[in-house]
Order: sequence, then C-alpha cells, then structure tokens
Amino acid sequence: MSEHQSQRKTPAQKTLDLISAILTDNPIYKSIFRTGYPSTLLKRMAVMRSSFYMHIFPTKVGEHGLRLRYSWCMGGITFFLFLLLTLTGVLLMFYYVPEEHRAFNDMKDLRFMVPFGVILRNMHRWAAHGMVLAVMLHMMRVFYTGSYKAPRQFNWVVGVLLLLFTLLLSFTGYLLPWDQLGFWAVTVGTNMASASPLVGYEGPFHELLGVQVDNDIRFAIIGGTRIGPNALVRAYVWHCVGIPLVATLLMVFHFWRIRKDGFSGPL
Amino acid sequence: MVEQELRSDKSGYMLMNKPGYPRVSSWPNLVWVIFLMMLFITILLWGVSFLAYAPLEEMAEWAKTPNPAKAPWYFIGLQELLVYFDPWIAGVMLPNQILIGLMLIPYVDITPAEQGHYGWSKRRFAVAYFTFGMAFWFALIFVGQLLRGPSWEVYWPIIDYDLTGHTWTREGVPLKQGALKLASLSTGTGMALLIGFFSIGMILPFMVTKLFPKSRMVQELDGYLKELGYIKYFVVQSHVLLMVATVVKIILRLGFNIKYIIETPWFKI
Repeated sequence: MSEHQSQRKTPAQKTLDLISAILTDNPIYKSIFRTGYPSTLLKRMAVMRSSFYMHIFPTKVGEHGLRLRYSWCMGGITFFLFLLLTLTGVLLMFYYVPEEHRAFNDMKDLRFMVPFGVILRNMHRWAAHGMVLAVMLHMMRVFYTGSYKAPRQFNWVVGVLLLLFTLLLSFTGYLLPWDQLGFWAVTVGTNMASASPLVGYEGPFHELLGVQVDNDIRFAIIGGTRIGPNALVRAYVWHCVGIPLVATLLMVFHFWRIRKDGFSGPL
Repeated sequence: MVEQELRSDKSGYMLMNKPGYPRVSSWPNLVWVIFLMMLFITILLWGVSFLAYAPLEEMAEWAKTPNPAKAPWYFIGLQELLVYFDPWIAGVMLPNQILIGLMLIPYVDITPAEQGHYGWSKRRFAVAYFTFGMAFWFALIFVGQLLRGPSWEVYWPIIDYDLTGHTWTREGVPLKQGALKLASLSTGTGMALLIGFFSIGMILPFMVTKLFPKSRMVQELDGYLKELGYIKYFVVQSHVLLMVATVVKIILRLGFNIKYIIETPWFKI
C-alpha cells in the first residue's frame, strides 16, 4: 500500500492490517515462509521464488494460463486426485492386508467397523475412476490445442506413459478387494497377456520359445496359472509401491518440462 | 484488446512469447485458481462418496464364473473387440499400437505453429483422425459396458438379468451368438483382400491427387503430402489404415458373418 491510499483506510481495514502484521511480520513466520505477507508485487514474486512448493510455478503467468475454458484444469485435477489417492490409500493400508482369507473381510470391516471407513474407501474408489477420466480429458485438451508440438513433443510422450501407468494403477487396485467383480475383471484382463505373440502360451508362435502355461508372460504377471494369493500380493505391491514410484518420477519430469517450456498459449 | 493486436501480427512467434503479452503475478492469481480447484474437487468427491457406495460383490470364488465377466470400464473397449478379433490382436497388438501411435503424434505433425488455441481450420486431418479414434474408443466402451449382457449378447441396459448361473439361456430361446453360423474367407481370398487393402490404401491419396488435380481440396491434399515426406507419410497412413481395417473387420463380422479374413495354423486374423 502506498502512502496516499493508507490515509483513506477505514478502521476495519486498519484492524485487518494490524492483525496481518502481527501474524506475518514476525521472526517465526519469516523463518518458515522466508518472505513477509505478499502485499506488493515484489513480495508476491518473492513468495513464489522462495517457497519450495511454490517454486514449481513461474512468478508470473500469461493470462491465458488462468483461463479454465482453455485448460479445463484437467492436468491439475489429475495430479490433485493422485495426491488424494495417495492420502486415502495410505490410510487404507492401515486396515487392509493382502491375504486371500483376510482381504475381503477387511473390506467388510472398512464398511461396517472402521470409523469413516466407508467414506475412505468410497473416496479412494471414485477418485481412481475420476483420475482415469481426467487424464483422458487432459490428453484430449492437449491434443485439441496442439500443445504437444515443439518444444513439447517429448513431454507428450511422457504424458502417454503416464496415461498407461494411471490405467495400470487403477487395474492393479481392482483386484485388491478380492470380490467377484475385481477377481473376474483381472482374470479377463490378465488372460489377454497369455495371447501375446511369442511370450504368451496361447499366442501365435509361442512354441518357438518353448512357452507353456507355467512359464509365460501371464505366469510372470500373476505368479501362478490362475489368479490366487500370489497375484493378490503382486497386485498390492505394484499398486502401492512399484507403479506409484515410477509414475511419480515421470510426473516430476512432466512438471519440470512444463515449467521449462511454459504453458502453451494462444498464437 | 492486446491479444487481438498481437494476433494480427503474422511474424509467427507464439503470442505468449511476445513482449506485449499481458502477464499477471502467480500469487495470488494462479494460486487462487489452484486452491479453488482443489476445494471444488474435494467437495465433489466427498459428495459423491457420501451418496454412492464403492461396489463390492460377494467374495472371490474361482468356481463361480459370473456371466458376463467384464474388465474395468477403461479396458472394456478391448474386451468388446474380442468379438471381432482373436485375443492376440484385440488384447495385445491393438492396445500397443494405440500407445505407439499416440506417442508418435508430435513427430509426424507438420504444422508446428498451430498451437495454443482450439480450432481445426489448419489441422483438419489431425483433428478428424484423433476425434474419430477417441469416439471409436468410447463407443466400444459404451457398447461393452452398457449394452452387453450374459454371454456377451447385446441387451438393453435397463433390463436386470440374473447373473448367478454359469450359463445363461432363456427357455426356448437359443443364444444368438451361438446360433450364428460364422464363416471364414479362403486363405487366397483373405490374403488378396488384406494385401490389396493395405497397398491400395497406401497409394490411394497419391492416386486421388493425379486423378482430380483441379479440385481445391485435392490441391490442399497434394501440398500436405509433399510437405509430409515419404517416411512420415508411411507412419501416418499405416496407422490410419490399421484403424480403418479394424472398422472394416467389425462391419464384415456384423454384416456378413465373417469370422476370419486369414486363417493359418499359427494365427488367425
């Protein structure tokens, strides 16, 4: 605020200024956030640059980057749903054990015994469907605005990989409740792998490599000749550790490239 | 206003990289949008989670096969393709080719300046092809998820079927799919058809440019082909033909009861 403006302040505004000064203009606040209250343009730039989390964003953006009708916010929504899924997923891991005889009962416990267990599982489930949908819509938005073109070609490739990993994340999670729905959906899905040429026991030319039902690609994926306890543990580890790690690394790269190349904008 | 002025400048630079382009500080403008988006999604998700239970059926049992057993919705398009193709095509080759094709898009696109805005006047082919592909994908999901009932027959979505049995037949009504007599083409015809389709498809655009050199649309196509070059043309056209072939196979199966175009002891197409 410049001098001549501060003279016209109402008592309420003065009180607010005083409160914000007490809250933000003190050594503890500054030791955490490094900058005082972002009241001037300079401080607003500083707050973006000096914060670890904000530093991922540029200090200034073109106005088009803010328009929802341009970006649909779909990339951000995908990432936010990923964060929500991580949070609810970690909480679900406290109650869930990936064991053939326990897994389904843990689902029942979540529904009837665990405080807020219903809302926890519902949120995880619907957020997962939402993330698959959001990542597809994000891809469509990027295509229709031509945002994959130079210099962002490779980031589009990483984005396609992220789409694949989102689908795999959702698919591995499908088995974990150990109910008929997931069990047979994953049976249908993994049976496709046995049809792979050369490496699947039902695929063309599998005899060339001596591939049989107990050493083909499907056997490697589900750890057996049919979906059983091994498949459940494998789905669990891929779902909770393996794929999130790979996806996170790709996301880090994806966001870093967006930051370096800038938001695509109108020509 | 500023945007219109900058847009009229035809120097070819992206608008956002020009000096006069309006910029605002990220704090609070961008941070505010992100915060509101997070709030909106959280509330929406909470609302949905309060209203709708996550599905949970009875405990998994190997001996009780549901009819139909459906893949998750995002993979059901591939399962729907199983009606028309063997699993090694529907479940392995086509999804891999879709992913590879998607990744190749930026490397075969030759209109680098057309970005940062919606609009299809200068990239008609790209937009039409991508839109058709997406529509095809979601149409398969729609049919597989909502219109397929027991034994993967076509049913209306509002009718509730008894899914507990191992097989499903209504008394006196044979399964439609089972009642169908499907035939395959002879190996010679099938090979000729397949090779003919792909070779004619490959040279068709060039033939069109030779046959109708006066039409304005064809002249546009000619310019596009020249700019594309042979390697990129081959990559693009093989993907286009693959998608068209998928549609053609569906038509052959539904309209002419043809099961396979090529039948060999090792693989069937």
